[in-house]
Amino acid sequence: MFDRLPLPSQFDRTIVAGGTVAGLAGGPILVVLLGLMIAGTISVAEMVFYLAAAVVLAGALGAVLIKNIVHASLALIATLLGVAGIYLLLLTEFLALVQILVYGGGVIILLLFALMMTNAQDDPIVQDGTQKPFAFGVAALIGGVFIAALLDAQWGSPTAAVVPFRDFGMRLFRDFSVPVIIVAILLDIAFTGAFVNARRAEAEDGEGRS
Amino acid sequence: MIPIENFLVLAALLFAIGFYGVLARRSAILILMSVELMLAAVAINFIAFATYMDHDAFSGLIFALFVITVAAAEVGLALGVVLRLFRERRTANVDAANSLKW
Repeated sequence: MFDRLPLPSQFDRTIVAGGTVAGLAGGPILVVLLGLMIAGTISVAEMVFYLAAAVVLAGALGAVLIKNIVHASLALIATLLGVAGIYLLLLTEFLALVQILVYGGGVIILLLFALMMTNAQDDPIVQDGTQKPFAFGVAALIGGVFIAALLDAQWGSPTAAVVPFRDFGMRLFRDFSVPVIIVAILLDIAFTGAFVNARRAEAEDGEGRS
Repeated sequence: MIPIENFLVLAALLFAIGFYGVLARRSAILILMSVELMLAAVAINFIAFATYMDHDAFSGLIFALFVITVAAAEVGLALGVVLRLFRERRTANVDAANSLKW
């Protein structure tokens, strides 16, 4: 019966390797977090937060560092869904749903289509620029300054509160009605512009450039 | 209850990673993905401040919604431009778009 199984392709091997790495890295973290939770050091909400934060940061590092362009965009999906989980932990279900709908449904599909229509088929491996050390230095500087500043500040101990859907809608469509209309016009202009731009390129390709 | 510093540190790290991506990547699409990471970090900050410190007005939630909307519009328009660039130059790297270099 084994000869019916398909041969492992490059994609299967990638999935197996990625799963192995994720398991090896995520297993000890999970064990440590469970231990801390049972010992009573951190609460359940904090443990969920640390797991979601690990997903977000690992996906972000993957999206920034992986050389294969398609795998990098798959890592970006993990990050955006993890960010939706962070929104849920911030007690805003509506924004988590919007995040999943807009990013998971729209933006990622657009990005993948653009990847497929450019160079993903012929050459999925990209070479990054030569300014990597400079980029790392600047990013580490910015992150370090942000973290040092916000750990130095006195936040008190504020508590989170749930915003009801009804209040959110009232505030959005009554107090912010003019910005909502402006954003609607912006979306209209942006997508009309994208459509016209891509369509003109199609026409030029069809006629042959002069 | 999760302290607010956790969310702020997470957002700062995410912003720094996205900034590294913007500077280090050469493909325009990957630069766009890194910009998305930075926008997500900013939205986390807005929502954290709104839910923890602004219980009555919660303007940060509205701003995060606008950030998501404008990011979607930006991706749609920028990908059209990237496709155009690819048809002109046969590559999507940003250092191929140097017509304005004098």
